[in-house]
Amino acid sequence: MTADAPIIAIENLVTEFRTGGGWHPAVRDVSFAVQRNETLAIVGESGCGKSVTALSIMGLVPPANGRVASGHIRFAGRDLVGLDEEEMRKLRGDRISMIFQEPMTSLNPVLTVGFQIAEALHYHRDMGRREADASALELFDQVKIPSARQRFADYPHQFSGGMRQRVMIAMALACRPELLLADEPTTALDVTIQAQVLSLLAELKAAYGMAMIFITHNLGVVASIADRVAVMYAGEIVETAPVNELFARPTHPYTELLLRSIPRVDRDTVGLSAIAGQVPSIGAMPSGCRFAPRCPLREEICTRRDPLLVKLSDPGDHQVRCWLRAPSSEAGHG
Amino acid sequence: MSTLALRHGSSYALQQLARAFNANATSWIGLVTFLAIVALALLAPLISPYDPLDQDILVRLEGPSAAHWFGTDSYGRDILSRLLWGARLSLVISTVSILTAMLIGGIIGILAGYIGGRFDMIVMQAMDVLLSFPSLIMGLMVVAMLGASMGNLMIAIALTAIAPFARIARAPTILVKERDYIEACRALGYSDLRIMAVHILPNIIAEILVMGSLWLATAIRIEASLSFIGLGVRPPTATWGGMIREGFENILDSASLSVFPSLAILLVVFSLNMLGDGLRDAIDPKLRGGE
Repeated sequence: MTADAPIIAIENLVTEFRTGGGWHPAVRDVSFAVQRNETLAIVGESGCGKSVTALSIMGLVPPANGRVASGHIRFAGRDLVGLDEEEMRKLRGDRISMIFQEPMTSLNPVLTVGFQIAEALHYHRDMGRREADASALELFDQVKIPSARQRFADYPHQFSGGMRQRVMIAMALACRPELLLADEPTTALDVTIQAQVLSLLAELKAAYGMAMIFITHNLGVVASIADRVAVMYAGEIVETAPVNELFARPTHPYTELLLRSIPRVDRDTVGLSAIAGQVPSIGAMPSGCRFAPRCPLREEICTRRDPLLVKLSDPGDHQVRCWLRAPSSEAGHG
Repeated sequence: MSTLALRHGSSYALQQLARAFNANATSWIGLVTFLAIVALALLAPLISPYDPLDQDILVRLEGPSAAHWFGTDSYGRDILSRLLWGARLSLVISTVSILTAMLIGGIIGILAGYIGGRFDMIVMQAMDVLLSFPSLIMGLMVVAMLGASMGNLMIAIALTAIAPFARIARAPTILVKERDYIEACRALGYSDLRIMAVHILPNIIAEILVMGSLWLATAIRIEASLSFIGLGVRPPTATWGGMIREGFENILDSASLSVFPSLAILLVVFSLNMLGDGLRDAIDPKLRGGE
């Protein structure tokens, strides 16, 4: 494998859920790739499919009412779609890890934090107890938990939210994964703690050379951690670009409105601008462009045909899904 | 590693139990009384004044006296000695049968709660069928089928207690398996077996233990009842239920023969119920609230 082959490449992923009688896609035709030592941020409102994308990669879509309907998830050259549970389990926590949003509830209250970190090493690396404990102590230091030795045998309720999130990070990174999925890892934390956790993640990512997919709805967080950004709306990627390019030239109307709805202290504005309307529900997707009902620029073609994700001419890595801002030469599948 | 988890987990459960104890005086009384009875039973070979099987026909059916504190039975055997030796039997039978029921019922309950769906439905319906037999009737049926012996008595009692333990294990499992930290376990690639044994069990073990202390009392009662109607351990071995039966037959000649074993049963059941109730009251809100 060459150095710049992506560690993970997702192609035309469709993940569906059963609601009412039928299967409806929560993620539709999503494609992206992430290199080693690169951070892709997936941004969008609640329910836009960003978490479902992460669960699809982890193979954790609840089988009772969800499924990856089509597409490919290529991890280190291997397609994870259709991989059996046993194989998938070996990858999870070892080569692909995930950090969750809620540090307060994501640790087992009856097990010590030291045990919970050492467990991953014991399980995936077959380490003995002593060896796993020693490695876990090192991880405590790496995630900057003070007085690691004394706190090793503490229970989660003796830790603050920020410290618990560090424990979660240590658990996820115990086996030095090649890909880390972070699902809003800082949303539940205080702003000052947020900054610490973000810089810790960036530091560890660089140290381990891992790829990171960072899911958030906070554009401020995106600016500080991401290399590239994918903006999702209603299950589709509507715009993807390098982080600076996106902030400098937001092209999709939704991205533009998102950026405009960030509260600014340096400008004298009256009130906050919000985006009118709501994300359409999974069972009632509009035809044509999914953002059309809320879009201030809507034209006739928007509601008639699906727009495609189109490369903007000058920098090739800026793609937009919009009839008006990035008209495609050929008609979309309508 | 899983024994380590249990050590971690159960030490936490024990901390919880200790806290529950301190908050509740009745559970202390229950525990102290029960431990005293256990100690007496353990020390029976040392402290019982007579051999429980030694007959002395000259002093049969006597009331309490200096030589025989609790009196003698129809063969002139010392009631106190027989009570002490009988306690050993009652405690062994009830403890072994309840531990067995705890283990089997607990596993069934965790599996049903964790797997859910149709498996859960079928298993719990089977448990409901078991539950629909009153425990004494169930014991009667099993002993009648297998014959009266100490082993069969334990099987009978364990069978009646499996269903309640399955229920008590299932309910909190359903609650716990939806928690974020179980999802986090899946994200770390842990197997279902590991999730159940290492991550769910320590969370629910306190409830199972509390239930165990309550069922220990029930087991002692069932054992006494079956021995009373002659389906328990065969005479001349001393059992509390058997002694009450003897006393019942001679109740017009000597009351002490039925009174003292009855009091012994009452005391054990009472102490275990106080212990269990106290623990349950103290532990419930904490477990329901979660962490």
